[in-house]
Amino acid sequence: MTDAAHYRFPPASAYRLNRCLFAIKADAEFRERFKADAASAMTQAGLDPREQALIIARDRAALVAAGAHPYLVFMADLRLRMDRSSFEYF
Amino acid sequence: MLVGAFALAHTPQLIARPDTEDRDLVLRVHAAFARVKARLTALRVDALAVAAGDHIEGFFLDAVPALAVYVGRECAGTFGPYDYRFPIHEDLARAVVEQGIERGFDLLYTQDRRLDYAFFVPLHFSMPEPAVPIVPLHVNVYLPPQPTPRRCYDWGRALGEILAARPERVALLASGGMSHYPGTDRYASPDFDWDRRTLETLTAGRGHELAAITGEELDKTGNIELRTWITLLGAVGDRPADVYCYEPSWHHGNAIVEWPLPPA
Repeated sequence: MTDAAHYRFPPASAYRLNRCLFAIKADAEFRERFKADAASAMTQAGLDPREQALIIARDRAALVAAGAHPYLVFMADLRLRMDRSSFEYF
Repeated sequence: MLVGAFALAHTPQLIARPDTEDRDLVLRVHAAFARVKARLTALRVDALAVAAGDHIEGFFLDAVPALAVYVGRECAGTFGPYDYRFPIHEDLARAVVEQGIERGFDLLYTQDRRLDYAFFVPLHFSMPEPAVPIVPLHVNVYLPPQPTPRRCYDWGRALGEILAARPERVALLASGGMSHYPGTDRYASPDFDWDRRTLETLTAGRGHELAAITGEELDKTGNIELRTWITLLGAVGDRPADVYCYEPSWHHGNAIVEWPLPPA
């Protein structure tokens, strides 16, 4: 898959970043800790200050440029904004 | 035996129904799901084999399987307000993994991995009545390098032969598609023209042509998930498809398709 692809091989340098986005997306307990105190949750998850700043800024292009998987960026953001009651408007 | 074959969109907005969506479009797709449910009920299936691509929910970067079979007693997961739990048809799942490996496919199997909405959306709307156990089959679509379309087709052919030799009446569902680009700049611009051309190929009974598509083309056209359809095509061969619906929304080409099989 070329560098122009929509979904690319996630570089190992972005592993912790992707792991944190994955936890926000898929781990309800981590997501609640993140909502309560993002810096503390990310520090416990082993993210360095640069990685924490990327996640706090929620800048999709910057996250993807740093190696974050676009789908994880998308869903982590959605899960932070969505709650279980925001369903079935029609 | 294999008695039914269907491809179903799993667009999460079909369940979530947020106010960003076209209500009438969503309800038309729901009606197509209901047709599949009625067909599966009439076919008196004993189990559903469901080929879907986990959306980095059960499988993360610590271990990325190309093809996997869920062989536990049951599988579960949550989506929005729903907690889903499905019994797995253990005998059938075990036959698939054992015979798949005998046939040269190095399958990962898991007895404890949660499912995501790639499985839930089709089952939410189209599970026959009474409900039947399932065999979840993961095809890696989101974490490159993914299995090639050719490999998916070959795996599907083996899967079809394995299912054909079983005593249970099984329907194969392929979950996903068509064009969409979640998380990218193209989210609001799916490639509907490519989808329509591909559906023409399928209705003409030329499914094998999809095995020759490259992974690059699937990525470019927003169709990485078509690997699950291509798996199904390996199982059913060049049968003409019956397109129940193709509903292009602002972010997603929603298709529901059946490949009618001879009565068994």
